[in-house]
Amino acid sequence: MSRPVLNRRKFVTIAGAGSAAAVFGIPAYIPRVGEAADAIKIGLLEPYTGVYAGPAENETHGFEMATDAWNKRGGIMGRKIELVKEDEQNDPGVAAQKARKLVNQDKVAALCGTVSSGVSLSVAGVANTLGTLFMDSGGHSDDVTGKSCHWNVFRTCHSTWMETHATGYALQKRFGKKWFLITPDYAYGHSLEEGFKDVLAHNGGRIVGNELTPLGTTDFSSYLTKIDAAKPDLVLVLVQGDDYTNCLKQMNQFGLLKKYPVGGPQVELEPLFGLGPEAREGYWGIEWYYKSEKTLGKNNKVAQEFVAESIKRYGRPPTARNAFGYITLDRLAHAMNDAKSTDPVKVARAIEGVRFTSIFAGSAYYRKEDHQLMWPMWVAKIRPNGTPGDKYDLFDVTDINAAEAVEQTIAQKEAVCKLGYPGA
Amino acid sequence: MIEHLGPQLFNGLVLGAFYAIVALGLSLIMNLTGTINMAHGSFMTLAGYLAYTMVLRKIPFGWALILAPLIAVLVGIIVERTLVRPLYKREPFYSLLMTFGLSLMAEEAFRLIWGPNGVPFSPPPALAGAASLGFMQFPTFRIFIVVVLLIAIAALALFLTRTRFGLRLRAAVQDTEMIAALGTNTQVLYAVNFSLGIFLAGIAGVLAGGMLGLSPTSGNNLLMPAFVTVIIGGMGSLFGSIIGGLLVGIAISMTTLFIPAASEVSMYVLMAIVLLVRPRGLFGEEGIFG
Repeated sequence: MSRPVLNRRKFVTIAGAGSAAAVFGIPAYIPRVGEAADAIKIGLLEPYTGVYAGPAENETHGFEMATDAWNKRGGIMGRKIELVKEDEQNDPGVAAQKARKLVNQDKVAALCGTVSSGVSLSVAGVANTLGTLFMDSGGHSDDVTGKSCHWNVFRTCHSTWMETHATGYALQKRFGKKWFLITPDYAYGHSLEEGFKDVLAHNGGRIVGNELTPLGTTDFSSYLTKIDAAKPDLVLVLVQGDDYTNCLKQMNQFGLLKKYPVGGPQVELEPLFGLGPEAREGYWGIEWYYKSEKTLGKNNKVAQEFVAESIKRYGRPPTARNAFGYITLDRLAHAMNDAKSTDPVKVARAIEGVRFTSIFAGSAYYRKEDHQLMWPMWVAKIRPNGTPGDKYDLFDVTDINAAEAVEQTIAQKEAVCKLGYPGA
Repeated sequence: MIEHLGPQLFNGLVLGAFYAIVALGLSLIMNLTGTINMAHGSFMTLAGYLAYTMVLRKIPFGWALILAPLIAVLVGIIVERTLVRPLYKREPFYSLLMTFGLSLMAEEAFRLIWGPNGVPFSPPPALAGAASLGFMQFPTFRIFIVVVLLIAIAALALFLTRTRFGLRLRAAVQDTEMIAALGTNTQVLYAVNFSLGIFLAGIAGVLAGGMLGLSPTSGNNLLMPAFVTVIIGGMGSLFGSIIGGLLVGIAISMTTLFIPAASEVSMYVLMAIVLLVRPRGLFGEEGIFG
C-alpha cells in the first residue's frame, strides 16, 4: 500500500495552518431562545466557548435570574424581557460582528455581557457607532470607563484601578512595601501594574521584581525561581483564569507559598475551585461574595433570596459573576421602566447617577461622569478548605473599601473621559 | 543574574523533557503514517481528567498514571480504526483537518463532562513539596516527572530496537510496501504505533495535570511547543524530538531570565534559526532513530 509522502516543507505549512486555526478559535453556534411577540429583547454577548466559558456561564445565570424576576412581576412597561444570547468566543472581532447582528437583525434594545476587556472595548465601540446601549458586566480594564468611555456604555464590575487600590492599601498595611509582581503581559495586566505603582507612589515602597508573563503561560517555574533572589515582602499574582491556577499551583510546588505572603488584585471563585486546598492561600480582592454580612449587608432580603434561589437553580452558590449579571440586567430594566422608553439616550440618562440598593451591602450608583458602577470593593483571606459543611465557603472577608476611596476621582476621570452624548 | 543561571538551566531541562515526551508521541504517529495528529493534546487532557476522576474515587496516583493513559489508548484505537485509518491513503491535510475537528469536539466534550472551570488535581502528598538540590529548592513532583519520562523514553528505545515488533515498526517507516509484501499485517502495525503515541501523550497528560492545571484546554496549550520541538529536532527522528524538546525548554527558561516578555517567542526564533541553517531540522533524516 502506498501513502502520500509528507516532507518537511509540507509539514511546516500544514502544522502552521492548523496551529493558527487552533489559536484563533473556531466559530460555534449557540441556539437562541424563541421569539416572543412584543417582548423587549436584550442582547447578551458572552464567551460561551473557550477559556472564559466558566465566568460566561455564571454571568448568564445572573442575567437569567434578573430576567425571570422582572418577567414574573410583569416585565418592563408590561412587556416581557427576552434574552438573546450569542457566543462572542472571547474574540473582539467575532464580538463586534455578533453585536452588529444582535442590533441589526434581532433588533435588541441593548447589549450586555463580556468577560475579557478587549472584547468589552470592541463591543463598546460598535455599540457607540450603532447608538445602542452597552452594559459591560464583566470586562475590567480602566479604559472602558476611562479614555474609551462613551455615553452609551456602562460598567458593572470594578475597574482595575479599584481592584489595585483596594488590595494595594490592604496588603501594604499587613505585609510591607517590597513587592514582587507576576503580571500578565497584555493591556489588562499593564493596567493593573499602573494601579499598583500608583499605590506605591502614594504610600512609599517599591517593586523589587516584575515578571511579564505571556497570556496562556503554562509553566511559571522560570519566573518563580527569581522570587527568592528578590526577597520581597509580598508576592502579587496578577494573572487570571487558568494562568492563575497554574501559577499558584507551581508556587506551592516550589515551596514559595510557605515562604512569602501572597495576594492579588482579584480572585474569582471559579479558578479557586480548580486549585487544590494546598495551593489556596493569601489575601485577594473580591468583587462580591455570597456568604458574608460584609458583602451582602445586614438582613438584606434581596441578597438572601438571590443566593438561595441561585443555589436552588444551579446547584452551587452564586459567584461575583452571577452578581454582575443580575445587577446589570436589573438596573437596565429599572432604567427602561423609569424612562418609560427603550430610547438609548433616555435610558442612559435614567441609569446614571441614580442611587440604588441591590444584592450587596450599602447603596451604589453608576457615576454620571464616567458610567462606572460605584460599589464597594472587598478584600478577603482565603480559607483553603471552606467552612464545615460548605466547601464553597472559601473567603473570609476582611476589608471593605468604599468605591470613592479606591476609584479615580471625578477630576481624574474628566481629564481623560468625554462621554459625548448625541447633541450635547 | 548569574546566580539564577544554574537553577534556570536545570529548570529548562525539566521543562524540555516534558516537551520531548509529547513530541515523541507526535513523531511516532507522523513517521509511520504521515498523520499530523492535532488531537494529540486532547488525548493528554483526556488522560489527565481520567486520572483526576480515578484519584477522586480513591485509586492511588501510581495506578492512575498507568490506567488513565491505557483508557486513552482504548479511545485512541477506536479513533484510529474508525476515523484516521480511512484517511491514510489521502493527503496529510485530510487527517490533519479531521484530528483538528476532533480536538475541538473533545474540548467541548470535556467542558460538558468535567465543567468549564479547571479542576483541582494535585500530586499525592508524598510527591508534594520541594526537595533541596543543593543549589536550589526544586519541587519533588518535577523530579518525579523527570524520572518517569526517562523510564518512558528508555522503554520506548528498548521496544523499538530490541523487540521483533519494534524492528517491524522501524522497517515499516522505511518501506511500508516491502514490509507488507513480506507478510506483515501493516494495519496492526499502524494501530499499535498509534497506541504507543497516545500512551506517551496520556502519561504526559497525567503528569501535566499534576504539575500545571487541568482544564478543557490544558492539553492543547502544550501542543504548539511540541510541534515546534518536532520541527527543530527534525522530522523522522525520535532522537531529534528528545534533543529538540530539551533545546526548547532551555531556550524558554533562558529568555525568561534575560528578556521575560520574549519567553514565548524564543522557541519560534530557535525554530527559524534551525530551519535557516539546517532546513530538515537537527536530526531530520529518514527512519526512526536515524
